[in-house]
Amino acid sequence: MMLAACSVWLLLVCLVLYSRLKVAASAPTCTNGQAGCHVLSLANLFDRVIQHSARMHGISNDLHSEFELYFLPSKNQIGRVSRNCHTSTILTPNGKENAQRMAREELTEVILKLLVAWGDPLWHFHQSLAHNHEFSNFSSNKSLEMSDMVHELRKGVQKVIEKMKMLGIMGNSLGGLGSSESLLAPVSAEWRLMKDYDLLYCFRRDSSKIQNYLKILKCRIVPEHGC
Amino acid sequence: MMKNDGGVRLFWLLLLFLLYTRGKSYSVPGKPTLTRCRSPEKETFTCWWEPGSDGGLPTTYKLFYRKEGSEKEYQCTDYHTGGKNSCFFNKNDTSIWVNYNITVVATNALGQALSDPLNIDVYYIVEPNPPENLKVTIQNDKGWPFLRASWDPPTKADTRSGWITLIYELRIKLEEEDEWEIHHVGQQKVFNIFGLQSEGTYVIQIRCKPDHGFWSEWSEDVQVVVPNYFPNKRSTWVLVMVFSGMVFLILSWLLHINSRNLKHCILPPVPGPKIKGFDQKLHKSGKSVDAFKSLDVPDFPHHTFSKSEDLLVEYIEVYVPEEQELMLEKSNNLHNGCLKSENSVSDCDSGRGSCDSHTLLLDKSGQQTDTQESQTDEQRHGEALQGENLAYTHQDMVSPDMSAGRVKTWPSVFSPLPQNRSTEDQTSSLEIAKQHCLSDSLLPSDFLTPYHSPPGHCTREHLGSNYWEFDFGNKRPHLTQPQTEVCHQIQAHSEININTGVKAEPAAQKFPTPRSNEYVEVQRINEEDSVVLRPVASNYDKLFEMQQGEDYSRVKGVDSDSVLLLLQKEAMEEEMNMCSCEQLTDTTDAHYTTFATSPEKPTACTHPTPQPLEERVVNGYVDTATMFTMPPY
Repeated sequence: MMLAACSVWLLLVCLVLYSRLKVAASAPTCTNGQAGCHVLSLANLFDRVIQHSARMHGISNDLHSEFELYFLPSKNQIGRVSRNCHTSTILTPNGKENAQRMAREELTEVILKLLVAWGDPLWHFHQSLAHNHEFSNFSSNKSLEMSDMVHELRKGVQKVIEKMKMLGIMGNSLGGLGSSESLLAPVSAEWRLMKDYDLLYCFRRDSSKIQNYLKILKCRIVPEHGC
Repeated sequence: MMKNDGGVRLFWLLLLFLLYTRGKSYSVPGKPTLTRCRSPEKETFTCWWEPGSDGGLPTTYKLFYRKEGSEKEYQCTDYHTGGKNSCFFNKNDTSIWVNYNITVVATNALGQALSDPLNIDVYYIVEPNPPENLKVTIQNDKGWPFLRASWDPPTKADTRSGWITLIYELRIKLEEEDEWEIHHVGQQKVFNIFGLQSEGTYVIQIRCKPDHGFWSEWSEDVQVVVPNYFPNKRSTWVLVMVFSGMVFLILSWLLHINSRNLKHCILPPVPGPKIKGFDQKLHKSGKSVDAFKSLDVPDFPHHTFSKSEDLLVEYIEVYVPEEQELMLEKSNNLHNGCLKSENSVSDCDSGRGSCDSHTLLLDKSGQQTDTQESQTDEQRHGEALQGENLAYTHQDMVSPDMSAGRVKTWPSVFSPLPQNRSTEDQTSSLEIAKQHCLSDSLLPSDFLTPYHSPPGHCTREHLGSNYWEFDFGNKRPHLTQPQTEVCHQIQAHSEININTGVKAEPAAQKFPTPRSNEYVEVQRINEEDSVVLRPVASNYDKLFEMQQGEDYSRVKGVDSDSVLLLLQKEAMEEEMNMCSCEQLTDTTDAHYTTFATSPEKPTACTHPTPQPLEERVVNGYVDTATMFTMPPY
């Protein structure tokens, strides 16, 4: 009787799993507006990307505050730090007018450049935190999350760009967006010289830029939702 | 010459100036402090500073700043827009995500003072203006009103382009209240509020904050009056009534279920004495003889100590102290008591014990050996009563109960004492003692006479300090075995008296009858329904002598097997020790006395030494007998 019950239960579980798998497998990969496919709208994509960037900025802010408690850099250092950001070569609009004056393609490119520029440094930052036992596990986990988020966000932005291209919103003037190597070229390996605190300071700022630019883009392209 | 005049003029001016400023000290200006910088829309910003001391001289303040990435020093161009001691940075001068290093310089005639530099990033110092155009309207949702608040973002903040993202917070309260209810709204600009009080006036405010910045000030109040909607009140009352009704039902059901238990808890049933075979009605009718006849048990000695619980007779030992004896002699209390006892036929079955019933003599105390020790407290309790009782007993003794053939007996039913002796019973038993007037009809030749301590007797507290003799009903005349007979005094709380300072003297018995030597006083009845007997001495002296003698042993009681429990010598001695007067020294041997007819039970001898109280017997008893307990049937 026990055997029978067990077998029945196993059978049920298998059925459930199979049905779920079936459902998952049967979900078609939406390509180019296939019929019957639930396509995420551009606004929806933008929302997701913006949320992602907001979360990334939040984590970077937390880590930066933590480091500030530990290291308490002198005031002189702050002035110096800004010059040490390895992304300072990337031209970013520093005001509303500048940002609005920029074409959406340019803006998107800036976003991508920033995201690409931070992929490696954050990964190495996480590595250094993980190996350094001075820092808590909490900080190490956050750095890992941050690093992953940068990669995810980059993929997300690329998806948005694809969508925009598909919808004809954006022209193909975005050159070389697919290849990250071209974007990395201007960015030297200066980041290796940055100290941890400086790195966090720079990234905090850059993540807020990314978030802001994405919002501007969204309200420019799909303004009807929450702008 | 002219130059001289100019120089003289200058000199005079300087002198006048000095004279004017005589007494004041001038110094370099104090260091100013940059207090805060704020940007309302992330496009411009203003910085304020706090000036230090001006050093007594007119001081000017200038603000200098450096931007990140360049060494060029800029100077503030607008000192007025922001108010006093402020610097306003316009759009051209403002860069976001750029670190500003700002310094304020105070200058006066004597010198300068630099403030501490302040580093800011405009992105993080945004404090918007409060939201505008707050409107609150009353909407209806199926008869239930609710408020809908709507507002606009501050004009300056550009949320439409996505430059700034604001989140809002709303707070509401009744006009008369003090505490606000805060609601976090998010990015939306509309909010609904439910759960309103009918005919209440509400006040609403709103404020906003950018992603990383400061909260704005609260907006202006908006008041709204909620209309009266009746169903709200009624439904509330209905709910309240239903709920309370349910609670009431549940409570009553619980009470009903537990009614019996509760009754037992609150009003515990009062145990009353019951005598097996005793007919209350018959007794009340006045035919005491008949009533007592019903109590007669064919083979008395054997059944007397039955364990039947019907025989809940409580009896008290009465112990008359010396002083009170004298007192009582003068009064006719005894007679009164006798009369009372004779006349009162009411049966105290309602917890008063057999106080009013002269047919019931309850001796509760002594019967259980284990209760003996606990009797001390009760002794004290009964102390007051004892005297009175003793008075009666004494009276009994003094009175010519020796009159020919007239034996004082207490028409009582001898029954095993209940296990628990309560104070109440003691009282009742004591009262019984009062009323132990002898009924003439119940005077067997051999009877138990209450013994009391003769005057001058030691105040040693014996067991029998509070006991009284009684007759096991005149139906049992065959209780005449010597040493076992007659003096079945149930010493109820003799033990009680033992340790208390009762002055009750050890019951020295006086035996009005010539056959005193043959009488045995029942000291008490232990828990096994055995009567603790002790011989009754004829008079004090005799008693005293007899105490020394070896013929007598104190009867401790009669147990259930109709075995007399006699006191052991050691026990007696212990008792003696408590009193300075008496010395029982001669009792050395344990005497076993088996009284009557259940020989099948061997008597177990227990050494009573650890329990001196048990053996408390009137001085008149000779020897100590060992207490032996019979195994139960």
